[in-house]
Amino acid sequence: MVRKVFWIVLATLSLATSIYGGFFREFLVYDNLEKFDKLKNVGITIKIPGYESSDNKFEAQSQWFTEPEVVNAMTFEGIGRYKDGKLTSNYPDLRMLKGRLPCPT
Amino acid sequence: MEKLRLKVQLAFAAFFNIGLFQLHTICFPVLNCHSCPTSIFACPLGIIGQFAGLGLVPLSVIGLMALAGLTVGRFLCGWACPFGFVQELLYKVPYIKFNIPAWSRFVKYGVFAGLVVAVPVYLTPESSLYFCRLCPVGTIESAVPWALINGATNIGHLALRLSILFAIMILAMGHRRFFCKALCPLGACLSIFNRFAALFPERTEKCIDCGSCNRICPMETKPKPDSYGVFAHNPEECISCLECQKKCPTHAVKLWG
Repeated sequence: MVRKVFWIVLATLSLATSIYGGFFREFLVYDNLEKFDKLKNVGITIKIPGYESSDNKFEAQSQWFTEPEVVNAMTFEGIGRYKDGKLTSNYPDLRMLKGRLPCPT
Repeated sequence: MEKLRLKVQLAFAAFFNIGLFQLHTICFPVLNCHSCPTSIFACPLGIIGQFAGLGLVPLSVIGLMALAGLTVGRFLCGWACPFGFVQELLYKVPYIKFNIPAWSRFVKYGVFAGLVVAVPVYLTPESSLYFCRLCPVGTIESAVPWALINGATNIGHLALRLSILFAIMILAMGHRRFFCKALCPLGACLSIFNRFAALFPERTEKCIDCGSCNRICPMETKPKPDSYGVFAHNPEECISCLECQKKCPTHAVKLWG
């Protein structure tokens, strides 16, 4: 009985965490357009909300992202962070090798 | 049951990397690198590490992992994880078999805390010590394919990764599911919830304490000696492979705990 009650409490907390993180939580992040520019130059377009591919001059811009969108972006070399107009840190680059292109599928 | 599990493992291994579509907004709680050219889901460890690098907690990923742990637990390790499947095949290779010390199963918690979380937080995810940069699954599914496609730019690091991969493969030939038992940080996460998982082998009153389940268990779990119920010794290690159920002479093991 104790085990079942504990299970229900944990499951409820987990479900609430998933729903909050998946549907309500947002992050203010900044596009690292320099990297997008490099990718665009070799014919690759990454579609991430807030990134205007039609911009001729790339500038740092911010955008609210939901957590799943950030998770998705993190699977590419995607978004970077700016502070006071200066790039302070990149989102960690998951690319195992330099020169890796985004997943072709 | 063994043949069914083999088919399920094969199906999951194909499904995760078939590349028909991409759903990287969702993490599937098995060790499957999302840098694989044809991966479908994101790897929860990769996302946890990257969020950790930013000082953030990925709530949706942690919630999903907890839900998976509470419903099926390490059943995922036994039935869905492609690298667990590879290790089981490796163990069938004739090679010197050996045991590992009991304390080694705690190493995986250290790997999770150290290489998955602490390294990105205190160093950087660019660090060579970051788990994803050493992960044997990442080496098979990502580093090698991309090295073949684009050419290796960091030969030294690729050589290190391949060395780790080969060492783990050799150890898996000698000890069943070596990586799962001793090193897998995802297994460490799921094992926290394994004790409470809904899908979990349980002994019934038919048990005659013959100990055949103890002897066959690949993860070295043991049932309670004096009462029936969930496996008391190392229950967090149980991967629900159901070999105990197959061996039980009185059919005393049921799956739903």
